[in-house]
Amino acid sequence: MRLSVDVGGTFVDFVKFDDSTGEITIEKVPSSGKLADQFMDGVGRLNLELKDVETIVHGSTLVINTIVQERGAKVGLITTHGFRDVLELGRGNRPEIYNLFYKQPTPLVPRYLRYEVAERLDAQGEVLTQLDEAQARQAVRDLAAQGVDAIAICFLHAYANPAHEQQMKKIVQEEFPDGLVCISSDIVREFREFERTSTTVINAYTQPQVDKYLTELEARLTAENYSGSFNIMQSSGGITSAQNAKIAPVRMIQSGPAGGVIGAVELGEAIGLYQAEGIKNLVSADVGGTTFDVALIVDGQALEKSSEKINRRPILQPSIDIVSIGAGGGSIAWIDPEGGLRIGPHSAQADPGPICFGLGGTEPTVTDAQVVLGYLDPEYYLGKRMKLDKQAAANAIEEQIAQPLGLTLIEAANGIIHLTNMNMALAMRQMTIERGYDPREFSFVCFGGGGGLFVSALLEELEMKEAIVPLNPAIFSAWGLLNADYREDFNRTTVFDLVGMTGNDLSAAFDKLQDSEQSQITNNQPLATSLQRFADCRYAGQEHTVTVPVLDEDLTADDLSRLKQRFDTAHEHAYAHALPDHPAEVVNLRLRALGVTTKPQLKKMAQTTTTATNAQKGSRTVYFDSGPAECAVYDRAKLAAGNSFDGPAIVEEWTSTILIRPGQMVSVDEFGNLRIVQEL
Amino acid sequence: MDKLKYKQLKPMIDPITTQVIRNALVAAAKEMQATLVKTAHNPLIYEVQDFGIAMTNAQGELIAEGSGLPGFLACIPPSIQAGIAKIGLENFNDGDVYLTNEPYDTGTHISDTLVYTPVFFDGQVVAFSAIMAHWADMGGAVSSGWCTWSTTIHQEGLIFSHLKLYDAGTLNRPLYDLILKNVRYPDIVEGDLHAKIAACHTGTRRVQALCKRYGANSINDAMQTVFDQAEKRMRREIEAMPDGTYTAETYMDYDGVVHGELRKISVTVNISGDEMHIDWTGTCEATVGPINHPLVGTEALCITMLKSLTMPDDPMNHGHYRPLTVTAPPNTMVSAEYPAPCDSYGYVAEMIVHLISRALAPVLPERCPACSYQMAAFQFYQTDPHKGDVFTYGEPLDGGGGAFHTDDGATGIMFLGNGDAPNVPVEVVETRYPVRVTRYAINVGSEGVGKFRGGMGIIRDYEVLTNNVLIQTSNENTQYPPWGLNGGSESGASKFVFWPGTDKEETYVTERVSDYGPFHIGDKLSFQTTGGGGWGDPKERDPKMIEDDLQNGLITLKQAQELYGYSK
Repeated sequence: MRLSVDVGGTFVDFVKFDDSTGEITIEKVPSSGKLADQFMDGVGRLNLELKDVETIVHGSTLVINTIVQERGAKVGLITTHGFRDVLELGRGNRPEIYNLFYKQPTPLVPRYLRYEVAERLDAQGEVLTQLDEAQARQAVRDLAAQGVDAIAICFLHAYANPAHEQQMKKIVQEEFPDGLVCISSDIVREFREFERTSTTVINAYTQPQVDKYLTELEARLTAENYSGSFNIMQSSGGITSAQNAKIAPVRMIQSGPAGGVIGAVELGEAIGLYQAEGIKNLVSADVGGTTFDVALIVDGQALEKSSEKINRRPILQPSIDIVSIGAGGGSIAWIDPEGGLRIGPHSAQADPGPICFGLGGTEPTVTDAQVVLGYLDPEYYLGKRMKLDKQAAANAIEEQIAQPLGLTLIEAANGIIHLTNMNMALAMRQMTIERGYDPREFSFVCFGGGGGLFVSALLEELEMKEAIVPLNPAIFSAWGLLNADYREDFNRTTVFDLVGMTGNDLSAAFDKLQDSEQSQITNNQPLATSLQRFADCRYAGQEHTVTVPVLDEDLTADDLSRLKQRFDTAHEHAYAHALPDHPAEVVNLRLRALGVTTKPQLKKMAQTTTTATNAQKGSRTVYFDSGPAECAVYDRAKLAAGNSFDGPAIVEEWTSTILIRPGQMVSVDEFGNLRIVQEL
Repeated sequence: MDKLKYKQLKPMIDPITTQVIRNALVAAAKEMQATLVKTAHNPLIYEVQDFGIAMTNAQGELIAEGSGLPGFLACIPPSIQAGIAKIGLENFNDGDVYLTNEPYDTGTHISDTLVYTPVFFDGQVVAFSAIMAHWADMGGAVSSGWCTWSTTIHQEGLIFSHLKLYDAGTLNRPLYDLILKNVRYPDIVEGDLHAKIAACHTGTRRVQALCKRYGANSINDAMQTVFDQAEKRMRREIEAMPDGTYTAETYMDYDGVVHGELRKISVTVNISGDEMHIDWTGTCEATVGPINHPLVGTEALCITMLKSLTMPDDPMNHGHYRPLTVTAPPNTMVSAEYPAPCDSYGYVAEMIVHLISRALAPVLPERCPACSYQMAAFQFYQTDPHKGDVFTYGEPLDGGGGAFHTDDGATGIMFLGNGDAPNVPVEVVETRYPVRVTRYAINVGSEGVGKFRGGMGIIRDYEVLTNNVLIQTSNENTQYPPWGLNGGSESGASKFVFWPGTDKEETYVTERVSDYGPFHIGDKLSFQTTGGGGWGDPKERDPKMIEDDLQNGLITLKQAQELYGYSK
């Protein structure tokens, strides 16, 4: 038996999977109150004995919330002499070009808690100045006296040689045994001192809270006789033990949304997409109340990035390349001072929520427009757990949108939906194109509580091949957590020319990296399964790099021409040109240790002789932009494998409503996925 | 098929369609940008974003902009309008690609060459897509296009005046060969040219798709509506400003050629009802050296600044331009005419923007920040292989931003005109170049004081690790430094200190150096940029902010008492 727990903005979702039967059980608990209590509350509702559970996987938004809400620990920072202001100065750029008042974010460590000690390495890691131990001890004592919870340490070029940082760590442990200490070389071994300092500081800033939370959960699980593994989803889409997560919480930034992407990767595998001819790529979109998280899956692998920014603060860690677009059911419709209709970026959030929820919302949202147009049944929201106030929604749209624009209520509501769909589609198209792809080369997996109401319009706007809506789309992220492999990433900035290097040289460089991390790899038992190697390469003189896989054959080759060719090809894809005759460099080596887990095998639905009509529970009028249409309403629980029907139609299930537009066709596959296609 | 019917549906409801088209055009410009950044060969484009992207309608009026450098964006529409006037709309062909870079048309300097293509639908020009980006080289007297000493435009590189690179899809081979033969880095220039053309075509396809779906007339109608809305909003913003005439002036230090002569720059802003007029009478005549700025560029910066002051978040369009007029006497430093040299126009460009803010500050105290540090940059080089390692390494230096009505200025930020350009990390510098950075720190005390103090500049100290290194510096506005507003004080001057702490120590402030040195192994240099001006009476500074600065070592107790009247 396995269990997953996924914390979202509105709900905590739980999935129990029974390996012996392939049965899935789901639960939802509102995400308000104390996190550890909700966790245990939901587990309690699943009707199980924890001693029967082998593994628990947890996706958490604790780290990202701590950063966004700036509720982290009091951190002290120790840097190389002359560089304590690096954290505050950053890179100096101004992304908001018309904003005359633009300022960088306030540093998470104020200047008076930033200390310098004499020490210096060069870019090769050679010691130029020894660490001044007396000064170092004094700095730690001063910071301890200031009442910091944790001390972050980032020395110049420590990625090349961690000796001084390790020495410093020992000093902190001796002088300040009650404090947490975090050195950059334990977290990230890449150059760029501002980004590395920022990453290390964020780790220290979030560590005390994560430590407390996970330690409490471990204790409470143990108290209920749990003895299985307790794992945490990381930004990379791989899981790690709670023990590791406590040391490097900065790897948990995307812990929440990563589960859905991994779920989509496995869904593609399960339905045979990567073996199929033609379209093999997937866009995954997780549509919540306020944002809409998009990721691309190419040839069965989620696209990754090696750095990201949270609240403008950089973090150097491998992460699934998830782009959050600020649009969803909660997005507020408003009229700008020029008289134009706008949607978002403000959202009604969970509190007060859309007007139709009757919880005090006064500004019309996308969900309100959906109720007015008949997308949602006011009597059947969340499987009748909630009634929607359609009249209040209609009144607000009438007064606040329709009348000022001189439109009818239905025109205004349709306008809100149309504009939202277009904004989502444009943002998705842009993120796809920026990564060198065309959305028409993708199939589309859409999930999350709100996904069903946008999926068919996005399929149409972006002219994608097919849309797939999995069963229980609202808890799909939680299901995805159960599909993740163990994973640890180890990186080194090691700059050398590709030309003139042999496979042996490259192999030796990777061996050196592996040797220094061997204890990490072997201590994490499930990681034995496979090692993957990558190199960040660039053309000499350029700043940007492209990550290229290193194959076993490269490590024994006489020269690295094959690797160079692979880099040329990857560069060609990413930047539409290659410079095959131009010298290239390796900048970073990346080693990925994987522990492949057994994926949960979904139960296939029995083929049936019944038709979709069997699942039809009624019909209602939906107002599309082309006019009103009577839509059959299907009960998803009764739809069977092999059923098919045409749009316009509505499919309802407990946690989600799915709208099919006119001109689209739906079939139900053997796993119960809705497969939506359209004629182009 | 229903689907087809939906696609060809007439504009559903006008306000909605208008908004959809407006958003789609902005998205189209962003897609152009994604294409350009993805495919360019020149790091100035894909790493420093030294470009502007825009789409105009068939009249050359701005309908959508991508991001990039703000000044560039606003230069594009007048350049295209000049092209339409010269060529005639009826003479464009589907598949044409035009080049133009005559600064008196395009607004900046020769290196910022505009590539533009007409967008055809149903046999008519419905739009133009255009990209202005810094070329890797234009074949001028110095490499890469920032000559500091030219005295005529003809020293600065190849000049194109609306020349067809492609004629109805066919390459104009002689022109192409001529360009590649005359530039120093033909591979990069060629790669970039293709990137720019590809990006223009991306924009073209998006506009054509919109025309197909909504009809070319609807696109036009929608944009006229959006123009009207933007104009209305802009007029309302201007109307809310008190009528009157507001002036400001300052002096530039040096034109790069003639020493010891201050150059006046003077602005008069007139607000009358819902219209604004900006006039530059009083500015000195075009300078001998290349710091001149053409009027087209000056107009672009005026509209950019007006928009920054009033509605910084809205995508810009032609409607925003309508309530503004800009004038200057012929051939001044901000209205340079042929053959005035313009290659290092950036110093004046930066000041134009700040001077408008200074003029309007008395009536718009909540919109106008105090003056920021001005352009400061350096370049190390050793180009003779007989003398050691050959390398070139330089970057613009960050400095302090001006304070404003609610907060202190930004510390260690890029000057406005350089937009989103990031500095180079110390660890990257030391991996690549034979120099070591020995300090990167806040330049404490470099700011103007006030109720809100200026942001602070930075100190970047270097040690040279090879022999025979020369240096070039950029610095400006040292004799008339960044001003404070509303009772806040001015800051100071950025400084370049060579061989600090030795007998040879030299400090350069007003004078810029070129081919200066040589510096040898172990020699040290210190670059110290100034902060921004302060805002408001320093005696009104919140004691909490003073205490924060005290705690953070950003002022001394003595300064707190003397400058801010702090008593505790």
